[in-house]
Amino acid sequence: MNPKLTDEAVSNLPLQAGRAELLEEIMTTVAPERQTDPTPARTSRRNRWVAPLAAAAVVAGLAGGTVWWQQQRAGDDSNRVASLGLPEGQAVVLDAPGWKVDSLGGDGIRFVHGDAELEITSYPAKDYDSYVKDREYIVDPPAPGAPVTVLDRPGQMWAYSADDHTVIREVEDGHWMEFRASGLDQDGFLAVLGQLRLTSDAEFNAALPDDYVTAGERAAAAEQLIGEIRDVSHAGFPDGTALDVGPGEAKDYYQFGVEVVAQYTCAWIEDFENAEAHGQQGRADEAARVLGTSRQWPILEKMDTDGDYPEVVWDYAGQVSDGQVPEGYREGLGC
Amino acid sequence: MGLSFDDRERAFRELYAAHFDAVLGYALRRVNRPEDAGDVTADTFLVAWRRLAHAPEGPDVRPWLYGVARRVLANHRRGERRRTALGDRLRRELRTHVPDASDDVVQREDVTAAMGRLSARDQEVLELHLWEGLESREIAEVLGQTTAVVRPRLSRARGRLRELLGDERCNDLGPPGHLPSDRPIALTRKERW
Repeated sequence: MNPKLTDEAVSNLPLQAGRAELLEEIMTTVAPERQTDPTPARTSRRNRWVAPLAAAAVVAGLAGGTVWWQQQRAGDDSNRVASLGLPEGQAVVLDAPGWKVDSLGGDGIRFVHGDAELEITSYPAKDYDSYVKDREYIVDPPAPGAPVTVLDRPGQMWAYSADDHTVIREVEDGHWMEFRASGLDQDGFLAVLGQLRLTSDAEFNAALPDDYVTAGERAAAAEQLIGEIRDVSHAGFPDGTALDVGPGEAKDYYQFGVEVVAQYTCAWIEDFENAEAHGQQGRADEAARVLGTSRQWPILEKMDTDGDYPEVVWDYAGQVSDGQVPEGYREGLGC
Repeated sequence: MGLSFDDRERAFRELYAAHFDAVLGYALRRVNRPEDAGDVTADTFLVAWRRLAHAPEGPDVRPWLYGVARRVLANHRRGERRRTALGDRLRRELRTHVPDASDDVVQREDVTAAMGRLSARDQEVLELHLWEGLESREIAEVLGQTTAVVRPRLSRARGRLRELLGDERCNDLGPPGHLPSDRPIALTRKERW
C-alpha cells in the first residue's frame, strides 16, 4: 500500500510534466458535454480517441524504417486543413531506422524508439507568440531559445532537462510546429530533427502500408465494413439515410473505421431521437436494438485494441438502451 | 452553461490547477500501486471535463470531484480496465517518485491499522473525514447521501475507532486530513505545453 501522503506532500512530488501533459490530453481528447457552439472537438495527439469533426489531418505509416507523416485533405479542396503548416503537396518523413509511430492524432504525432520519444504537434499561427513566450520561461531568467533549423525553417530550442528538449519552428502557411523529445540528449535530439525531411505526396502515397485505405479503395472498404456490421445487427441504415463516404485520401484502418462507424451510429441515434420525439416506440426500440449490437461490430472489436473510440460508441449505445438520447453525441461522434 | 469553448477551457484549467493535488492525493491514499492513482486521476478529470457544465461552483466542487473519483475508483477496484489511455507520463512519474515520498502522511500507521478493522462503510466515512478533512455535509455530497445519514455514521465510526485505539491515543488524531492543498497550485507557464 502507498504511504498515505497529505495533499501537501503530493504537491511536492516532481510530477510537473505528467500533470501538465494530462491536462492537455484531456482537453484534446473529447469535447465537453452540453457544448452550445459548433466548435469542433479536437483530436488527441497522444491517443487514438478520435473526434472526427477535426477532419483528420494527418496520416502516418511505416515503411522500411521511414516514418511518414502527411497532410491529409478532404475531398473538397475548400475543406483542406493545412494543419501542419506545410506547403500543399508536401509530407514529412522521419528517415531514421528504429523509430516507429506510437500515436497519431489530428494535430500531431508521436514517434518512439526504445525509451526515446519525439512528439510533433501543430498549432495555429495565432498561438505562436504566446507559446514562444511560454517556452522562454523554461530557463531562468527567461530567454529566447537557441537558434536551430528544422525542415529548412528557423526555430528556437530550449532544454527542460539534459534529455528533454523542445523546439518551436516558425510559422508557415498559418501554422507552426513544436518538436519535443525526451530520452535524447541535445546532440541526439538535433540528429533526429536532422533526419526529418520533406517529401512529395506522390512519394508518400507510394509507400503507404497495407492497412491503409487508399482513396480508390474508400467506397468498397466502407461497404465491406458496413456489411460486416449488418451481419451482426441485421440492419442496414435507417430508412431515409445511406452510407456516404465520398471522395477522400488515404487513412489508416482506424481513422477510416471512425469515419464509417460514425455514419452508421449517428444515423441510428438520430433515428432513435426522432422516434422518441414522435412517440414511435417500435422505431425507437429497433434503433436501440441495432445500437445494442455494437459490442459485436467487428470493426469496433478490432479498433478496441488500438484506441478508445469504440468505448465512445458503446457508451452512447448504452445510454440509448436506457432510453436516453445521449447528450452531446453529435459532437462526440462527429455526426 | 452557455460558455464558449475558450471559457470552458479556462474554467477547466482553473479547476485542474486548484484540485489536481487533492484528487491525486485522494486516489494515492486508496490504491495499492502509485500508477493506479494516475489512472484514477486521469479518468476523474476526464469525467470532470466532459461534465464541466454540471460541476458545482465554489467550495462544493471539491466534494463533487471526490464523488467522481470515488466512482472511478470503484470501477477500478472492480477490475474494469482504464477508460482511457491518458496520463502515461503521470503514471511513470508516480511509479518513480511516490515510493520515496513517505514523510508527510495523513495519519499514523496504528490509526490506519485500526481503521482497517472497521466496517467498509465506517472506514470510508472516516477516511473522508480524516484524510480529506471533510465534514458531514461534504461527506454526504461525496457519498450522494443526506447529512442526516452521514452525521451519526461519522460519529459512530469515530467512536468505534476510539474504542480500538484507546481514548488517549484517539485524542491525538489531530486535525487531520486537510493539510491538503488548501492552497491552489497555480498553473505555471511551463505547464501549458
